This record gives sequence, structure tokens and C-alpha cells, in this order.
Amino acid sequence: MKDEPIIQTTSLTKAYGPHVALDDLNITIPRGATGLLGQNGAGKSTFLKTILGLIQATSGEGTVLGYDIRNQGLEIRQRIGYMPEYDALNPDMDAIHQVRYSGELLGMNPVVAMNRAHEALQFVGMGEQRYREIGSFSTGMKQATKLACAIIHDPDLLIADEPSNGLDMKAREFMIGTLNTMVNDADRSVLMASHLMDDVERVCENIILLHKGTLAAQGKIEDLKAIDREIEIHVWGGATLLEQRLLDQGFKVRREGRVMRIAHTVEDTTTNILQAAADVGAQIRRMHEYEASLEDLFLAIMDNLGYNVKSSDDLLKSPVEARRVDAPESLGGGAA
Amino acid sequence: MNDKELSPEAPVTGQARMDVAWGANTGDEMPEEAQRASTPQTGEIFEQVYTPWRGQLNPRWMRNWSILRHHLLGIFKKGHRPWTMPTRIFILIAFLASLSDAGMTLLSGVVGSSEFHSLFGVSRDNLYGHVLGFFPRNVLYYPIVAALLVGGVISEDRQHGTSALYFSRPISRVDYVGMKFLSVALIQALVVLITYLLYFLAEVVAFGRGWAWMVDIFPMFLAGMVGGILLIITYTSIGLSLSSVSTGRFFPGIGLLAIVFGTKTLASIVKNLFEREILYLISPYDCVAHVGQALIGTQTTYDQYSWTYSLVALVAMNAVALYVLATRVASMEVTRE
Repeated sequence: MKDEPIIQTTSLTKAYGPHVALDDLNITIPRGATGLLGQNGAGKSTFLKTILGLIQATSGEGTVLGYDIRNQGLEIRQRIGYMPEYDALNPDMDAIHQVRYSGELLGMNPVVAMNRAHEALQFVGMGEQRYREIGSFSTGMKQATKLACAIIHDPDLLIADEPSNGLDMKAREFMIGTLNTMVNDADRSVLMASHLMDDVERVCENIILLHKGTLAAQGKIEDLKAIDREIEIHVWGGATLLEQRLLDQGFKVRREGRVMRIAHTVEDTTTNILQAAADVGAQIRRMHEYEASLEDLFLAIMDNLGYNVKSSDDLLKSPVEARRVDAPESLGGGAA
Repeated sequence: MNDKELSPEAPVTGQARMDVAWGANTGDEMPEEAQRASTPQTGEIFEQVYTPWRGQLNPRWMRNWSILRHHLLGIFKKGHRPWTMPTRIFILIAFLASLSDAGMTLLSGVVGSSEFHSLFGVSRDNLYGHVLGFFPRNVLYYPIVAALLVGGVISEDRQHGTSALYFSRPISRVDYVGMKFLSVALIQALVVLITYLLYFLAEVVAFGRGWAWMVDIFPMFLAGMVGGILLIITYTSIGLSLSSVSTGRFFPGIGLLAIVFGTKTLASIVKNLFEREILYLISPYDCVAHVGQALIGTQTTYDQYSWTYSLVALVAMNAVALYVLATRVASMEVTRE
């Protein structure tokens, strides 16, 4: 049971008339934390709606927690917790009653739902604010309340859509920590859709990358990053000569000023680099294995697909409207 | 830093700047001490512990009951659907005002005046009047109660995104809209039908009516009840369809009142100017009133066409309203709204 995938799709296709939103997706998501990545319009929302059983797939099949997405949508939605990206709380209600009601909508007895609402709000750090009206909450508190609504019935799988969206640093850290606790301490699975690569990397061990409805990459982040292992060196004097020597020896070199990254293709790459530096008289002041971030990986994959996308730093600095990859130049966009 | 170091006479050594730049420690302290000193003291006692739950989730009827309960109990107490205070106050006023005929019946029983009783006591016309009489009930009470109730029932789920709370859970669209409809209808029934029942009971109590009288009057009572149900269904259908196309509570409420009173006013003007009553077929209130008159058997006020025309018009306007409602609810999103 532990080894069984929590989500599995085979040739899953969803078309809206001539527009194909999901194209022949073969996805296997194991237990644990998985990041769902992709630009706006990549098909993330359609994928989520399809696996929740809210829309019918045009063709193909899939299962979530062993339930068929084509005809067991109610069973799926009873066993998963879904935390929506946008506001999904009544601002005129207290947090405790909102969370209790979300439990009742799953079929919980009102008394049990109330007890669990206390526990869930305590877990997400809202224990002291549970009797406050949601309308007076900060964005971080609303996100925490949404998370409490999603986990009130202790689901095996939590689907969190942009859980750290719009949060300040402290609230973001807490949200990431909470999701990590769910995965590592509580042994629950999380499917996390996010534009913030740092957050995905800190919570997830696997990723699914969608691009225009197709599967661009899937697997363990470590494995995917290992595809492009590199050695980074900082050179003083003779950098151009060293670069040329390494290129002559057949190495793949990327250079930015005195910093060079050499593809780690053979076992004795480091020895060859040091020998080349000694031959041309260049000083290597620093040398280490370059660990690519998920963001590097995402940018590299999207670059290969012919897309120019923004980094997390850009996204965090810009307003919400400008976080779209196709945002107009007036908002700091212009990528598409 | 002691008091001497802070005194005005203390020499300027630059030590404070050095401390800021390089740290306040001398570098000679033991590692254990440094470790203890660096422990942050934020005063937080929060410990994050995940509590598992392996209880049983109840089936569909319990989920639907929770929606109904949420809306109904919201009228009476906190912790459920937060109906606005004006809505609650107006429902109370409408409820008490709708009991005026029950009060007058009790009074006529106490006073023993037959004239008083013929004016307010249970009769064919008065049973009709309690549910479908235009003034004051269908001018001042029932449409306004309906408008206040339907305004935000679906539109606020769009506005606040709380539709995601329903549809990401095992709630089907049919259950969602069905329970919302039933909730609003039951609250209206509290004002329209419960007061109707209390009116009937007031007559029984005040005049000591026996089984024979009750059996005799029961068909009329039942017809009035059916008329009231038709009225509630019609107002709720139209109101919820307006609520489903909106993202605020004002437009659906004012829209319902505009439809109810606007169509009636237009039909009245046409009747007065051209002596043609046919335009009453576009007025929801008049269609229900015409059917209600036929059911109870009072003197009909619509002479130029059969009550079956009104029934067909009533079915048609409900069908259109429910179609709009179903279409709009089907388009409500989970991932974004």
C-alpha cells in the first residue's frame, strides 16, 4: 500500500472543443510531497479539476488514492483535502465555525467537526485567533484557515494550490514548515501547485512539470537536477585560456566572467580541470560541485521548450497581476 | 554595559561600534556558553503537533443536512450562516405582522363580537388573504422577506469564493442548489405558512372549534397552503436565479422586487388604460394569486382568461428561472471564481 502511487493517470486527455487542455498525460505521483509546476495556461487547474472528478476527461483514465476519477469523484473528494488558491472563506464568520462547517460538508457530525476544528486550527497556529472574524484576518491567517479547512478530516492527500501565495516571509516560513510537518511527521501526502520554486523545493521531493497541457518533466527533484551536474570554479588570471583549453578537451563550459561551470561528464573531470589550469597558468580560487536549484531546472526546461520565464525573485517583487508569465510590459512583464 | 559606561563622563572608545561590527563577545568565552547565549528567547510556547483522526464520515444525507442546518440556524444564532441583522429584524417584524389576523381572531373570541369575527376570523376569503392577499402581505412582507433572503445565498459564494468550499468536497451541484433552495424556502415558510397555521389554530382555540369544523374547513386550509407553497417556490426560483448571475446581494434583492412589483404595475396600467388583463400573465404575483383563487374558490379578480393560463405562465416562469439557476451554478468554479 505504501508503494502504491497516490495519483496515476494513463493517456489522460481533456479537450474543450478544439482546445486541448491536457494532452495524453501519463503521470505517476508517489506518496510524499510532489510539486505541480507550470506556467499559466499549462493545464494545472484542469489537471486538478480532472483528478478531483469535477470535470470528465475526454479520454484516458486515472486513479486518486485508488478511486477512479471518471466515476468516483465524490469518494475522491471525501478523502482528499483541497486548499484553493483564492479566497474561499466567508469574511463574516469566525474561523472556528468556518472550519467546523467545512468538516460538516464532508459528512462529519457537528460535535466531532467542532472538536476537529479546534485541533486543526491549533495545528496551523491559529489557536488564539479561532474566535475572530475572518474578515479581520491577514493574508497569512486566511491561508492558515484555508489549510485548517482542508485538513479537518485528516486526509491522506492534501492538494494545496499556491499555499504560500501572497504571504510575508514569516507566514511563508510557517506555511512551509506546516506542510513539511504534514509530510514528514504525519506521513501524509501533499500535491502542491506553486509558482514559487523555492517553496516547492523546500517541501517536495518530486515534481510534475506541465507545459501547454503536456508533461514536460516528472520525477524526483534530485534525479532531475542530476541530469545537468556541473562543477563551478572561480578563476583568477587566464580565464579565457582555461576556457579554451577545456573546450578543446571536449568539456561543455558555461562562463560568466571569472565564474565557470563545467559539465561533470566523466569521473576525473576535477583532475582534468586542475591539470588544464596548471597548463595555462590560471589560478583556481574556489572549486565545488554546483548544485542546481529547482528554479534552475525549471528555467532550463522551459528554456529548452522555447519559453522565457521569470525567476522567483522577480515574482516576489512584482504585484499579483505581474506574476503572470504573459503579463504586459507595463507591469514589469513582457516575457511572452 | 554598566551605568558608568553610559554616563556622560565616560570616554569615547568606539567600543559600541566595534561590538556592532564584530559582535559583542570577546572571543574567549567557552563554546557551551556561546551556544546558550545564542538561543533565541522569543516567548513562544507554540508546539506544532499533528493530531490524526480516523473517524467515520457520514453519507450524503448528513452533508445535505449540514447545508440546510447552516442556513436555517443562521437566522437564530451565531456560528452558522451570517445573515445580516436587517434581514433577521425584518423577518421578525414580518412574522409578528403576519400574525395580526391570528391576534384579531383571538381578540374577537375574547370579546365575543360576531362582526369582529366575520372581519378577521377564518373564512374562505381570509384564508386566501393571509397567504395571497396583495395588501399588506404581498406588498410589505413576503416579497421583501424573499428579497432579503435570496440576495446573497449564491452570489456571496461567488463573491467570497466559498463555492470552492462546497465543490471541493463531496457535494454535487444538485445537492448544493437543492439545499440552498430548500433553506430559503423554509425560512419563508416560517413567515408565510407557520403564521397561516397559527391563524388556523387561533380560530380553533378562540372559538373551541371541534373536529367537524376542522374537517369541513380543511380542504380550504389545504388549498391556501398549496397557494402559499406556490408563492414561496416562485419567489425563491426567481430570486435564486438572480442571485446566481450576480456577485453581490443588492442586485438580486432589488431585482426580485422590481420583477414582482414592476410587472404588476405594468399590467395594472395596461388594464386601466385598455381594459385588457392579459398582461397579468407576466406578473409572478398575479399568476400565483389567480391560481390560488381558483384553488381556494374565492371570487376571482381576473375575469378575462382562465386560471389555467396563469398556471401555465407560472410553470413557464419557474422553469426559466430554474434553468438560469442550474446553468449558472454548473459554471461555478473550484480552482478560481
